[in-house]
Amino acid sequence: MRVDIPLIELHGVTKTYQTGAKTFTALDGIDLAIEQGEFTAIVGRSGSGKSTLINMITGIDEPTSGEVLVASTPVHQLNQEQLAVWRGKNVGIVFQFFQLLPTLTIAENLILPMDFCNTYPVRQRRERALHLLDKVGIADQADKLPADLSGGQQQRAAIARALANDPPLIVADEPTGNLDVQTTDAVMHLFASLTAEGKTVVMVTHERDLAHFFTRFITLADGRIVASELGVSA
Amino acid sequence: MSRPRWMKLLRDLSLARGRMMMLVAAIAASVFAVALMLSTFTVMTREMNANYLGTNPASAFIEVDQVDEALIEAVRQQPNIADAEATAWVNGRVEVAPDQWMPLLLFVVPDFAHARISTVSPEAGAFPPPDGTILVERAVLTLLDSIQIGDALTVQTPNGTTQPITISGTIHDPSLAPAWQEQTVYGYITPGTLAAFGEDTTLHILKITVSNQPESVSAIETTVEQLTGWLRTQGRVVDEIRIPPPLRHPHQSQMNTVMLVFLAFSVLALILSAVLTATMIGGLLAQQIRQIGIMKAIGARSGQIAALYLVLVMGLGLIAAVIGILPGMWAARGFSSVVAQLLNLNVYRYDVPLWVYGALLLMGVLLPLLVAIRPIRRATRVTVRATLSDYGTTAAAFGSSRFESWLSRIQGINSSVLLAFRNTFRRRSRLILSLSLLGAAGGMFMTGLNTSSGWDSYIRMAAADRHYDLEVRLNMPQSVEQMRALLGGVDGVAQVESWSLIPAALARPNGLDIVRTYPDGGHGSFSLRSVPDGSTFMNTPMLSGRWLQAGDVNRVVLNQSALALFPEASVGSTVTLLIEGQPIRLEVIGVVRQILSPAAAYVTPATFAAAAHMQPNLANAVRVAMTSSAPEFTAAVTQRIEQALSLAGISVRVAVSEVLLDNATSGHVFVFIVTLLLIAVVMAVVGLLGLTSSMSTSVIERTREFGIMRSIGARSRTVLLNVISEGVMIGLMSYGIAVVVSLPLSFGMGAYLGEMSFRSPLPLIVAPLGLGLWLAILILGSTAASALPARQAARLTVRETLAYV
Repeated sequence: MRVDIPLIELHGVTKTYQTGAKTFTALDGIDLAIEQGEFTAIVGRSGSGKSTLINMITGIDEPTSGEVLVASTPVHQLNQEQLAVWRGKNVGIVFQFFQLLPTLTIAENLILPMDFCNTYPVRQRRERALHLLDKVGIADQADKLPADLSGGQQQRAAIARALANDPPLIVADEPTGNLDVQTTDAVMHLFASLTAEGKTVVMVTHERDLAHFFTRFITLADGRIVASELGVSA
Repeated sequence: MSRPRWMKLLRDLSLARGRMMMLVAAIAASVFAVALMLSTFTVMTREMNANYLGTNPASAFIEVDQVDEALIEAVRQQPNIADAEATAWVNGRVEVAPDQWMPLLLFVVPDFAHARISTVSPEAGAFPPPDGTILVERAVLTLLDSIQIGDALTVQTPNGTTQPITISGTIHDPSLAPAWQEQTVYGYITPGTLAAFGEDTTLHILKITVSNQPESVSAIETTVEQLTGWLRTQGRVVDEIRIPPPLRHPHQSQMNTVMLVFLAFSVLALILSAVLTATMIGGLLAQQIRQIGIMKAIGARSGQIAALYLVLVMGLGLIAAVIGILPGMWAARGFSSVVAQLLNLNVYRYDVPLWVYGALLLMGVLLPLLVAIRPIRRATRVTVRATLSDYGTTAAAFGSSRFESWLSRIQGINSSVLLAFRNTFRRRSRLILSLSLLGAAGGMFMTGLNTSSGWDSYIRMAAADRHYDLEVRLNMPQSVEQMRALLGGVDGVAQVESWSLIPAALARPNGLDIVRTYPDGGHGSFSLRSVPDGSTFMNTPMLSGRWLQAGDVNRVVLNQSALALFPEASVGSTVTLLIEGQPIRLEVIGVVRQILSPAAAYVTPATFAAAAHMQPNLANAVRVAMTSSAPEFTAAVTQRIEQALSLAGISVRVAVSEVLLDNATSGHVFVFIVTLLLIAVVMAVVGLLGLTSSMSTSVIERTREFGIMRSIGARSRTVLLNVISEGVMIGLMSYGIAVVVSLPLSFGMGAYLGEMSFRSPLPLIVAPLGLGLWLAILILGSTAASALPARQAARLTVRETLAYV
């Protein structure tokens, strides 16, 4: 289901880094709007600014200039403490290397965001975690440690964790980069099903083979958007 | 604990249990030291008071021509007088071996059973002593180890009478330092027993306690002044008045000083372990920086994460405090017993007040917490982006600073060692912390040994300042020439000089002869001494001014203890002394440092004769230099001198040999040195645990690097050598810091201890033992400290290291 109100808006976003005496421009005047329910792929060569762009959207990094609005929240104006609370409730992040906490079980990894953001009553948290794990197909792995799971299972767990606080936006940085073809396909179907439920998914990827899953492609080169096109599933 | 964040904390702890155990051990060791010192301090302060106040110590001792029952009754009626009693003191000698004598101080007690002021407690045998027998202070049996109750002592009293007297029992007198420490026999007799020696049995000491502000020396003085005025109106002759520091045991100040120094050292050890906590927690955070980033990415606030680690530190501190407190308390019982024995006190109760437990818990928990706040704040405030891009070492690439560029140009040494050398400087803040920790620990360790050496040296200097082997004090003045002839003819005697002495007091506006001496007459005494022209027997360094010269009339040289009695005095000023009740004004021409000596004012024989109203050709004390200072030789010569004096019918008050002085001083320092070293060892342990922690953290952070090293052919030995080299390098770098730190610390500690104990700073001695021992400890310790993390690093497989997150 798609609506016409942009969930994400970037206005003239520029990000520069100082490296020694040189200034490196990672993003150069980006203007972008992503609407709710879109499954957006951000593509481009290594160093094109893909990760920097999603770091702007998640508030992990701040623009040198420009505005970042997510669900009308001016993310670029939030301080670190406000960002943590905002992120916990509004954005689910999925990393390339899963980044599950190794000393917590899978279920505990899912409960942790609820614990930090105090979003669900304590008694309901495990039940919700199991429900989410069931949704991604690994409910039977709930009480295992991450090291006991395969890469695909860990990434499913990471997606489930991203959904823990039921955020409207899921941001994934090359989530399939470390997975085999079959697992990649399963994970992509999972993301697609989320967009079908109304979630907005923004994903950095290198893999053109996955094009059929996306509703939109944004191509970056040298920190600029060089193409913005509708995907096959749009 | 159902919340996953706490589960995570517990599991992280279990993963880092080795380091956490080290941390707990370090804090526990320091808490142990603080518990030991603080408990001993509180127990001994309380028990010293209980012992001393239990005797109902006299506020003042007033020497009167005669004290009888009628006078006592009348004195009791005087304003502000709580109670009064009579006593007498007699200085005699005890023959401990044929012609070997030891000082004896006899306390004459008219009614043992009903004594109320400065009382003694019966320990064993008869009490009160039957006439013709003597009670001895219990420590006398330790001093004269072959003597038991029922044995006879050969006693000589001032009139020269020598006769045996049976020991009928022992008593405990907590107001006296132990007999073995002072090398003096303390005896307690009835007036009847004194009469049997043919001595005058007149009781001439009036003991009083005051009812108005008994704790105030000025209030006591006012009361005594009023009482003295009244006594004089009654036609009584009042001589010396002794007002010891009120309600304070003679060794209270020394004990407080030493215990406070120990306490300060142990608190410093605790501070070190708190710094170690910060290092270790910093290491743990460094290891978990990426996880912190992930937690923040999924909604954790900095405060929530910081709370986790703060609770962790609190928990560890609490465990460590509990572990350290109990053995510390237990050790304090033993240490209190040793201190009590040293001070001749009974410990009635070993329990410590509840506030001590509270303070120890607070110190154990709060101190590490306070120190850990900064690294925790820093790590938890870092942004998600920074944590996710952290690669374990500094953000800036190695070589970006000028120093690193210089390091990178060093060539020509083993590549492993070179790598270790460069690695040492990668985490410079941690390096600084490790160096500070080890430097401070080493500094304190060396300070302990330096102070101990300074103390030893001070005592040796005191002995070296005295260029004579024996001082003989006489009951009646004798002709100087006769003494020279008599003793000069004794085989083994090299030189004889007359060094007369007479008690002196600070002249006061009220004209009273008040001294601050305790009943033993030693602690707090002050005397005027005659120095023969051109004497070489005393070679003490001048602190200011000059030494006496022939022809100096009404001029005086004070030692530093005497100078303390005249706060306004300096070279060129005039002081007024009271000698036998008469004021004498003397110009101060110099101040000498005289170690382990009571207050003394040195004058020429002419000035002395005028002040003491003694013929210039007479002397009441002589000093003797012998041809050898070997203890056996001086003992034999002393024996021959005693025989010669006895044959000549000269009554000796006391003979003080170097051996006696040495025995009296060495007993004071043994416990002090051992305790200082014990604390130094605690510090060394804390320092090395710090290094181990630092190396462990360093290894964990560089896990991936070790994997790379191994994947390009490094063997386990190479990795091992790399890590150990880095540890030893840090250890050696801290050595210089430790030496530098130890110098001002030793100086300050020596100055404080010396001033409090001897009114003169201890010399600054850099003990070679301390330098060598700490170097050895550092090399061995840092090898051992880095061996464990090195072993862990060497065991890692390439797969494990590259999978490390």
